[in-house]
Amino acid sequence: MMPKLIKKIEFDKTISKWFKSYDVIAPVSSKEGIHFKRIKDPKEIKLDGNQNSIYPPKNVFLPQSEVLFTVKNDNYEMPDQAPRKRIVFGMRPCDARAVWLLDTIFNKADDLDLYWGKRREKALIISVGCASMCSNGFCDTVGSGPFGKDGSDILITELDDAYFVDPLTSAGEALIKSLPEADDTQGKNAKLIQKGSVIKEHQAADLPRIREKLYEAFNTSIWKDVSESCLGCGVCTYLCPTCFCFDIVDEIDRSERVRNWDTCMFRVYSAEASGHNPRPTKAERTRQRIMHKFAYWVDNEAASGCTGCGRCISQCPVNLDIREMVQEITSLKIQ
Amino acid sequence: MDDFSQVRKEAARILSEKIVDMVIGFKQGTIPLKSQPMFITSQEDTDKLILDGFCQNNLAVFLHDQPKDKRIGIICRACESRAVRALVIEHQVNRENLYLIGVPCMGILDWKKIQDAADGPVTNAQESGDQILLEIGDKKQVLIRNEFIVDSCRGCGHREPIDVDIQIGEISPIEMNADNLPQTWGESFKSKSADERFQLFTEETERCIRCYACREACPMCYCTECFVDHIAPRWSESMVTPGGTQAWHIIRAFHQTGRCVECGACERACPMDIKMVYLTDKLNDDMKKEYGFEVGENEEKQPPFATITLDDKNRFKY
Ligand code: SF4
Ligand code: SF4
Ligand code: SF4
Ligand code: SF4
Repeated sequence: MMPKLIKKIEFDKTISKWFKSYDVIAPVSSKEGIHFKRIKDPKEIKLDGNQNSIYPPKNVFLPQSEVLFTVKNDNYEMPDQAPRKRIVFGMRPCDARAVWLLDTIFNKADDLDLYWGKRREKALIISVGCASMCSNGFCDTVGSGPFGKDGSDILITELDDAYFVDPLTSAGEALIKSLPEADDTQGKNAKLIQKGSVIKEHQAADLPRIREKLYEAFNTSIWKDVSESCLGCGVCTYLCPTCFCFDIVDEIDRSERVRNWDTCMFRVYSAEASGHNPRPTKAERTRQRIMHKFAYWVDNEAASGCTGCGRCISQCPVNLDIREMVQEITSLKIQ
Repeated sequence: MDDFSQVRKEAARILSEKIVDMVIGFKQGTIPLKSQPMFITSQEDTDKLILDGFCQNNLAVFLHDQPKDKRIGIICRACESRAVRALVIEHQVNRENLYLIGVPCMGILDWKKIQDAADGPVTNAQESGDQILLEIGDKKQVLIRNEFIVDSCRGCGHREPIDVDIQIGEISPIEMNADNLPQTWGESFKSKSADERFQLFTEETERCIRCYACREACPMCYCTECFVDHIAPRWSESMVTPGGTQAWHIIRAFHQTGRCVECGACERACPMDIKMVYLTDKLNDDMKKEYGFEVGENEEKQPPFATITLDDKNRFKY
């Protein structure tokens, strides 16, 4: 597929053209930092700097709260979903890879989540690679990288005066058909930027070994040690682009069945109606979180369930660092 | 604190003399601008203890998880000591089993604000007197410490740790030069009209993702089942909608009436940078005005809204 080019002076014009047929969702500045939202003007887009959003864009496909159906006169009515096609512009490769991972959960041909499926079907992901890696990211060690391609329809590399636009799927290619082609020099420059983006000291994580070590540690007290300061909040999991647990609730007053994000780090998450809790302390809950990312995902998809975005590290209120925790448990380094 | 070695020594002493089984304090974080709570059981580890403006948690919160009969030493800034007293009054901890090491506090720093003010991703940060020395790769940058003290510490009216077993280090005044600083969020909120205040409240709560980090970081939120998690009956909307998030913020604040120790740990834990101490501050002010009650000021008095007496003159009205 031919790489294309958007000159910076033509950026606004190019994006504006998409408004006709698409809702465009992109990173903008907000009170808490970068945040993904639907934009009305390309000038709102904030791509400078190397910081990703605090709240992950997974909510584009798995909203934190959504109505699954309403009961009306004995009939189930599904809400009209994503009636317009959408472009998610400016996702970072770690988050696009997360969408790619989550497709293995929600977008299976024989076991499709209708809500996720419809949203995915009608959306294109245009990722922007990270010329310099974000502060706490380690995407390059867990199977992806600052210019990782998984999950994206188009991957953009920022050059001095233009964006180098690399289509990765036929849908992506179709969208940018009318853009001018990039020349060889621009292609070379893009390659250089991509190469220069990774951090030399980072080493690829030995996932099969980590997985094995985690299983070995399953019944030890190490989980208590590493989770001692954990508060049991929803920060690391809600902000994680690959965490997808949800809870289903009937909002009886409105005759709605709704789905809300939930998290294994909450005590009530695993509490059973009898009062029994199979994960009674934060040690078991932390074990679940870490095992899911670095053992169960590896079992199921031969990939790490952590894309290395670093959000849980930057935002955990007690600075529990997943890299350090895995290292302590397995004595194997990630990063 | 200039000479923290005394605190380390005291922590080592109470461990070695078996006065306590564990000491709770802070150690260096894994990333710049952060620190980690630390649970020490062997004296050797007391070397790792630190205390600086990046220690953002209220350590008293960790007492919730510990058995009441466990003997615990805890490094106490004023807020921690007030939280311990409040927890004692509410029968959540046994004062006899605690050993409080009082230390001075120069105000906690807002790491997000520091990162925003920095010329790039901070790779190292140190406090030095009234300055914050940043390293951004090979570059250096100096910030004025006072400008980055969190709002709840700027307004702090009780900087002396109370009821401690030992006080180490002197409490020196913080020269705030408040005139040169912008108003705190709470102050400016107070000066607004009711409509504007509601607007601000709406803007803050609409960013809430209901992660409950504010609750979990709060030394005074210790219910085994929080009202938002209660299923039968359900007390609040489950969704992340204004109905859900506003209910969370209002009811949480009301549960803290005359109980909140004003440490601001909730606000610092919030990933979405949502303001909330202005609500509990106001409720605490009302408690002072209406009932002459202030958290931590007295060893026995229960918070008025958490008190039930059989000879209450006023009947419940409903
Ligand atoms: S964000 Fe930190 S404190 Fe909260 S649940 Fe995760 S590890 Fe625990
Ligand atoms: S586990 Fe942490 S670093 Fe890994 S993808 Fe999730 S939030 Fe990002
Ligand atoms: S910590 Fe912030 S986002 Fe999380 S529940 Fe509290 S106010 Fe909401
Ligand atoms: S908000 Fe209220 S119910 Fe929830 S833990 Fe705090 S005090 Fe308890």
